[in-house]
Amino acid sequence: MIQDKKEHKFGMVIDLDKCTGCGSCMVSCMSENNIPFKEDESRKKDSITWMRVYKLTNGKSFPDIQIAYLPRPCQHCSGKGGHGHSPCVSVCPATATDYGYDTGIVSQIYTRCFGCRYCMGACPYHARYFNWWDPEWPAGQEKYLSPNVSPRMRGVVEKCSLCYHRYQAARDKAYYEGRDDIEESEYQTACTTACPAGAIVFGDLNDPSHMVHQIVKPDPHPDPMNKYVVDKSRNPKVFRLLERLGTNTKIYYLSEREWVRKAGDNYLDGEWDKVKNHHGSSSK
Amino acid sequence: MSKIENKAENGSGEGVEKGTADDPKDDKGLGLGVIFFMVAFLVCFLSGWLLFPKLLYSKKEQPFNFDHKLHVAEVGDCETCHFLREDGTFSGLPSMESCLECHTDEPMGETKDEAIFAREYVAKEKEVPWLVYSKQPDCVFFSHAAHINGAGMDCITCHGPIGESTTSRPYEENRITGYSRDIWGKNIWGIKKHSWDRMKMDDCAVCHKKETGQQGYCFQCHK
Amino acid sequence: MKVDRRSFLGLGLGAVAGVVVSPVGLKLTDDSSIWTQNWPWTPVPVDGEVSYDSSVCNLCPGNCGISVRKIADRPVKIEGLAGYPINDGGACLHGIAGLQYLYDPARVKTPLIKKGDKFEKISWEDAITLVAGKLANIRKGGAPQKLACITDKTQGSVPKLFDRFLTAFGSPNLYTMPSLESCLELTAQTLHGNGNTLGFDLENSDFILSFGAGLIEGWGSPVSCFKANASRKKRGAKLYQIEPRLSNTAACADKWIPIKPGTEADLALGICAVMIKNNQFNSSTFKDGFNRFAIMVRNKYAPAKVAGICGIKVADIEKIAGQFVMAKRPLAIPGRGRGRNGQSLKEFAAVHTLNCLVGNLNQRGGAFVMAKNDYLSFPEAILDGVAEVGAGQEKLAGSVDEFVTKLNAAGKPIVDALFVYNANPCYSLNEPKRVKQAFKKVPFVVSFSSFLDETAMEADVILPMNTFLERTEDVPSQAGLTKNVVGLIRPVLKPVFDTKDPGDALIFLARALGGSIAQNFDWETYADCLGDVTAGIWDSLSENGHVLVPPKPFKEFFEGPPDVDFTFLATNPSTVQAQGDFGLTLIPIDNMRLLGAMPADSPFAIKTVSDKVLIGKDIVVEINPQTARGLKDGGDALLTTPVGAARVKVNFNEGIMPGVLGMVRGLGHTFDNKFVSNKGVNVNDLIGPQIESGSGLDAAFGIKAKISKV
Repeated sequence: MIQDKKEHKFGMVIDLDKCTGCGSCMVSCMSENNIPFKEDESRKKDSITWMRVYKLTNGKSFPDIQIAYLPRPCQHCSGKGGHGHSPCVSVCPATATDYGYDTGIVSQIYTRCFGCRYCMGACPYHARYFNWWDPEWPAGQEKYLSPNVSPRMRGVVEKCSLCYHRYQAARDKAYYEGRDDIEESEYQTACTTACPAGAIVFGDLNDPSHMVHQIVKPDPHPDPMNKYVVDKSRNPKVFRLLERLGTNTKIYYLSEREWVRKAGDNYLDGEWDKVKNHHGSSSK
Repeated sequence: MSKIENKAENGSGEGVEKGTADDPKDDKGLGLGVIFFMVAFLVCFLSGWLLFPKLLYSKKEQPFNFDHKLHVAEVGDCETCHFLREDGTFSGLPSMESCLECHTDEPMGETKDEAIFAREYVAKEKEVPWLVYSKQPDCVFFSHAAHINGAGMDCITCHGPIGESTTSRPYEENRITGYSRDIWGKNIWGIKKHSWDRMKMDDCAVCHKKETGQQGYCFQCHK
Repeated sequence: MKVDRRSFLGLGLGAVAGVVVSPVGLKLTDDSSIWTQNWPWTPVPVDGEVSYDSSVCNLCPGNCGISVRKIADRPVKIEGLAGYPINDGGACLHGIAGLQYLYDPARVKTPLIKKGDKFEKISWEDAITLVAGKLANIRKGGAPQKLACITDKTQGSVPKLFDRFLTAFGSPNLYTMPSLESCLELTAQTLHGNGNTLGFDLENSDFILSFGAGLIEGWGSPVSCFKANASRKKRGAKLYQIEPRLSNTAACADKWIPIKPGTEADLALGICAVMIKNNQFNSSTFKDGFNRFAIMVRNKYAPAKVAGICGIKVADIEKIAGQFVMAKRPLAIPGRGRGRNGQSLKEFAAVHTLNCLVGNLNQRGGAFVMAKNDYLSFPEAILDGVAEVGAGQEKLAGSVDEFVTKLNAAGKPIVDALFVYNANPCYSLNEPKRVKQAFKKVPFVVSFSSFLDETAMEADVILPMNTFLERTEDVPSQAGLTKNVVGLIRPVLKPVFDTKDPGDALIFLARALGGSIAQNFDWETYADCLGDVTAGIWDSLSENGHVLVPPKPFKEFFEGPPDVDFTFLATNPSTVQAQGDFGLTLIPIDNMRLLGAMPADSPFAIKTVSDKVLIGKDIVVEINPQTARGLKDGGDALLTTPVGAARVKVNFNEGIMPGVLGMVRGLGHTFDNKFVSNKGVNVNDLIGPQIESGSGLDAAFGIKAKISKV
């Protein structure tokens, strides 16, 4: 019997210097994952966008202002110490969301969810969305829905799955061909393949042959400054959002610009200078 | 205040009267109560067991009878018609296209059912609207490739000896959920004798636990 | 025996106990929980075999190759087509959302005829008979030039069929909507002679000096530009972005040079002056007027003067000129925003002159002067007597904007019938209300449209068109690319409604008209026609889905640099100024998330629009806090221009020049689609046309405006 021999840890690194904020990733995600839409989508808190692109500015005034864009899928937290206790998984009373130890992907099962929204309160990244209404498609438009992702009903929470159905499809093919495992190119998320700038790199953070591992260079040792932080990048240009919380997200960001990296967390005065050159314990 | 007192008085008066009728020495009432209890219990229990399933499920006939046994004898196995596609997805019920690899609009045999097939579907170029006994809800992802190729399981383990059937039994649809009766299983108590008797999530989990050591994660079987 | 209360109690308890120990409770609990998890009205998409169809997207002039994933023959997802010469796997959000157009609530589902204020269904046969009858009457009147037509572009067999129809009918009055392509053709014609167009080798340039060209905002072929931009870092290529606002292009550029709106031509000529003064140019191919041009720029565009006009320091102008000259493969590109609306020939010519001076023409990484993509060979048009009469007539106007102006100015109808194909002038030209007025002056308007948009609403008859997913069509690449790619749109599904390919509708109509017009359209179907007129490339086009014309690397194809004619610029044509005398300047903003023109956006695209652009039904106007006296960030305001006024919300943005107001282009649609329409205002409603003398282009880059708190 073929078992998953390797333990994967799927994640991505997004190059914020390449990201132009064009929005292809958002729409590719919507179209891939049967995400509904409604008349007014300008109230962003109830606008379901598994992948959302935020605009950052350096806060300076004309003409020194700079802007950058930050695409934010579900961060697929490994939780403190990387043990799978993601903030949302820990609070779900229905086991409607769990941590896949074989993939590192945080699931969301709509039929199991009863809509308490604890997970939304627990998520530090606003990556989870609640279906306040039943989805409605204009007549005929339900014909483009994909059978690979089940459409949601009102009263449940949904979020990015890292296109898990694409992983399943890749595995099905591998099974068919009698292979134990899948290739890097076989499993790529819809946002990754759609990005015209090539800003998103997706793959297995555990696999040194994968591009994402080579860019991120995750540190196998816990961070000496914070024992809950694991897999810190040894690349000085790579950072994670609110890394000090110990959520151990698997979505990494890359930027040459210091102000962009600093935007990844809230720092007290003078704090940034202490931590900005700290990049993984064994990086030196 | 006085009204209430009045009522209380009247009430207690009645109580006294009743008390006499219900005198413990006169146990006819209790006996009757027990009999009523027994009868009601039996009627409700039996109808819950026997009548309830009849009400819960509506029966639908397949478009025409399908003789699995005959087809297995002709083509030799299940995979000829129910195959894995090259991308690893499962073809499920054969489309008209695969039927036409053997059939034409001229019946090959002499059964009434094949005549219906040839006349109503082949000649009119329509797909046969089979009702799928083992259809799972939309939230379920099931990989045939993982179970057949990966785990080396055979079809019977989950689907039973359907290949030996000569007729198509009626499709029973749950009036509440809209699902096939086969998911819960024929037995209304949910008791299973064979591995194929039920196809609920727990049945998957039990087997997974036994074979792989753990029940699996949500996304393994959900989409 | 006495049946008393206790007996009933027994009966009740017995019933309850019986039900409890029967399977009813367990089963109903299970079933009802399942019921609540899968409401019957939640759609369950049908599963099946996966297949992929290749085609080409024509939502914008980019013409990217697309791969349509189908499940059980049902298209479910559009993605970029790997290996396609324009986009190589990339896709923009509009293309990816393309399937939404199939089932758009505003689609025209059958031919429609206007009765009073309403449209009524009509059969194709009746619609064509009706149109043919009206047209036949025009010909009977002996003035066939009174049929006019507006299309979106000139290239490709479908626009050529409209052209052919008008020629056979006897009318020269074919107009196209403003586009980057037409500006580039006009520029090439002005500087290098007729029959040419321009392409820009962005992928190989090492210094791109962009005069507001929104490489990230949808300029040219958007995905191709995204890719060229993404590869800059690896190549070490620089991008300098000159524009009044920190656009996304400016944000990812190496340097953003804010400039006063509408002064891009002055800056370009100022840089020319510096280059000429420093003798840093290559004059080997200069033909006419260079000396006059050199004297003109020296006198009129001295850096000190230009600095004042543009709001850029003299030192910076000299530095930019220096860097441009010193670069190995410098390239200057014109076309503010998408390069489509409000462009001026002077500006295009001035910017392209930088390429001519620096000597990068037909060089790797430079600007390419190319012959127009000419792969179609139609049989010679047959003209009858009436058509001959019309052929001798003057065209009514030089541009679609001038055409609209003339329609409005005339007392009685100067045009008896008007065709509109794949264009929405009643929305996308400046001051659309004057366009609607002009349309009302035309007795008979026929719209060839997939959607009941602002322009289709003005029509008398609407002939519903297949969308790009349902049709066959050849689409030549243009959009400032250096490659000549002809792509083939192939239907990925049967038409969802009772619609036709535009070519088929024209053949149908020509047949109904009979005579020489029918002879000119002697094909059974448009597909036959396409095979016929692309005969030279049809085999490989139909086999590969695209053809590179000619399929050779550019070095062999382009023979040396072309001649440059400076006579147009040497006369220093006047620069268009913003209309009005308010204190601020309103400029439209091209935003990648909004298509801005034809067709309107998809619900998915609207969903991606920031709440700093659209809040509820309110459009948000950007203003620099320095200029925003009396206004509140996020507050309501009244924006007034000489042409109109609108209620808006205000967004304080440090990324826009003081004195400038920015409003996104592409909102404020008014047709029937609640996901897309009645959101914000159409910026074109606030801007009046400014016709540039010499080119006839509407060169209104913006308009003077004021804004006040309400």
